[in-house]
Amino acid sequence: MAVRWNMSWRKAAVLSVVVVMAVSGSGGVPATGAATGAEGASPEATPKQKKPALAKPKLPRPESASPIRPAPSVTVPLPSPAAAPGERALPPERIEADVSARSIAVTANFKGSEVVVFGTVDNSRQLSPEAGTYDVVVAVEGGGASAVVRRKSNLGGLWLNTSAATFDRVPSYYAVASTRPLDEIAESDELAKYGIGLENLSLTAAEQTTRSINASELRDFKTALSRLKVREGLYTNDDYGVTFSGRSLFRSTLALPANVPVGQLVARVYLFREGVLLNRFTTRVGLERTGIERFIYEAAHKSSWLYGIFVVIIAVLSGLAASMMFGRVGN
Amino acid sequence: MHIYLPIAEMSVNIFLFLSMGAAVGFLSGLFGVGGGFLMTPLLIFTGVPSAVAVGTGAAQIVASSVSGALAQYKRNNVDLKLGLVLMAGGVAGAIIGVQMVKILREIGQFDVFVSICYVLFLGVIGTLMMIESLSTIKKKGAGQTLSARRTGQHSWVHGLPFKMRFTRSKLYTSVLPPLAIGAFVGFLVAIMGVGGGFIMVPAMIYLLRVPTNVVVGTSLFQIVFVTATATILQAATNQTVDVVLAFLLMLGGVVGAQFGASAGAKLRGEQLRFLLAAMVLLVCIRFAFDLVAEPRELFSLAKG
Repeated sequence: MAVRWNMSWRKAAVLSVVVVMAVSGSGGVPATGAATGAEGASPEATPKQKKPALAKPKLPRPESASPIRPAPSVTVPLPSPAAAPGERALPPERIEADVSARSIAVTANFKGSEVVVFGTVDNSRQLSPEAGTYDVVVAVEGGGASAVVRRKSNLGGLWLNTSAATFDRVPSYYAVASTRPLDEIAESDELAKYGIGLENLSLTAAEQTTRSINASELRDFKTALSRLKVREGLYTNDDYGVTFSGRSLFRSTLALPANVPVGQLVARVYLFREGVLLNRFTTRVGLERTGIERFIYEAAHKSSWLYGIFVVIIAVLSGLAASMMFGRVGN
Repeated sequence: MHIYLPIAEMSVNIFLFLSMGAAVGFLSGLFGVGGGFLMTPLLIFTGVPSAVAVGTGAAQIVASSVSGALAQYKRNNVDLKLGLVLMAGGVAGAIIGVQMVKILREIGQFDVFVSICYVLFLGVIGTLMMIESLSTIKKKGAGQTLSARRTGQHSWVHGLPFKMRFTRSKLYTSVLPPLAIGAFVGFLVAIMGVGGGFIMVPAMIYLLRVPTNVVVGTSLFQIVFVTATATILQAATNQTVDVVLAFLLMLGGVVGAQFGASAGAKLRGEQLRFLLAAMVLLVCIRFAFDLVAEPRELFSLAKG
């Protein structure tokens, strides 16, 4: 299965390279498919003056006020992200991305797999894959379901669940990968604004919880929730998980553990430069159960009485079959 | 080689669970017990959610006791009428137990409840078995002859109303005690994932005074039907029966039981009971330890 994805990724990657070449010639029109769509391609994000969050290790960071970016090896002058009026404006960068498979199957031997998110930066001004002009953040999120976090405390010598917090729409899966650690990419309030990163995941407590639990306790429950999800492998954070393999082509591989709940996964790709969000892109991938796996799961949840009877029949038959088999052998 | 358990929602090593089934099957063949009180704890210790371990344990017991029950029935060792009364109680107990599982899961106290039940039952039974086997070993060592325990034929139990005649057991007694015993055992099946033979057999012998030749057959007969009922109810109410897991355990279990039975023939009864008592106490201690030791993670996560 992994081989097949790999193949499809390669094929798709080749395709998107072709698309990029065509698009950058014509001036950068975002191509959107049925399942994908550019979202919030707000041009006002580009000219906004913002101090870079942290200096990049690889490139000497130009002051945003300076009109000419000092490129180390090539002499072609590039405008700074905040191009002053009157200067020749390059078309704004846009990001496009796709996922290696439209749907991923959870089969009976599902041991976990991976999803590859890849894409391109249109109108890339990056001189080489290593230049580090852009930061890309890939966040894949699974559908929300309510979850209960319980806390144990010692009650008369026994460790019992004594308090609980209910959260609405907790993402079943959240994997974030980036070109470098998130805190180096942008200021924390910028990340918080777009809900990027494990700390900024929107975990809203249910009404009855906010009424019964004070704010500091609730914070403990929230951190516990993401810690438990991290331990289950359902929430992951890969600081260097996105790599550029060309001036504009990037890819990221995200692990899907075996216990990831089925459903729609939303992949969001964010393009940052110097701490400012330039563009973002959203695409989807379905995670579904197939084969006998799906049959069992659906039967157990949708026709649970029949399922129970079916289990008993299997138990009776296997018990009788075994005794007949061994009875014959024994005698 | 891994397999995904669709209800437990975890990916497990096939061979680990096959050998777990085989080991418990071996022990149950060796000791002549159902093995549910070893299987369900083992599942919990390997990380299967308690409720799934309990629900699936019941399904596995159906498989491991059905052929024994059939054999006993063919040998005319089943008191059908008494079995049906016990079963009626058992089904009622299972219905109550399954509802209790549902409520306890909703309030997040099921895990600790199961642990406490196991500590209590395994503690009492393990200690009694240990004392009994040790005193038998000592008496045999001292050269004393042993006679089967046979106490008086009547007690307060037989004075209760709603009397019924059980011809096969040569009993004329009230239906209330067998109903109550059946209900209690059915309740245990639902909340602990055990067959309950370790309660049923002594209760039939000492409380109901059922002749020993029909005790095992009748109790097996009751266990098959009550565990089957509990399985269906757990599946319908709590969705906690994992057919893939159950099948792995059955497969390992039936093979292990064959070897256990032949190995058991070579060991003396009181030595076997001593070993079993030791094992029961170990499982009990493990549960007790988990209850009182400070957990490394105080928080836990459940579906809302």
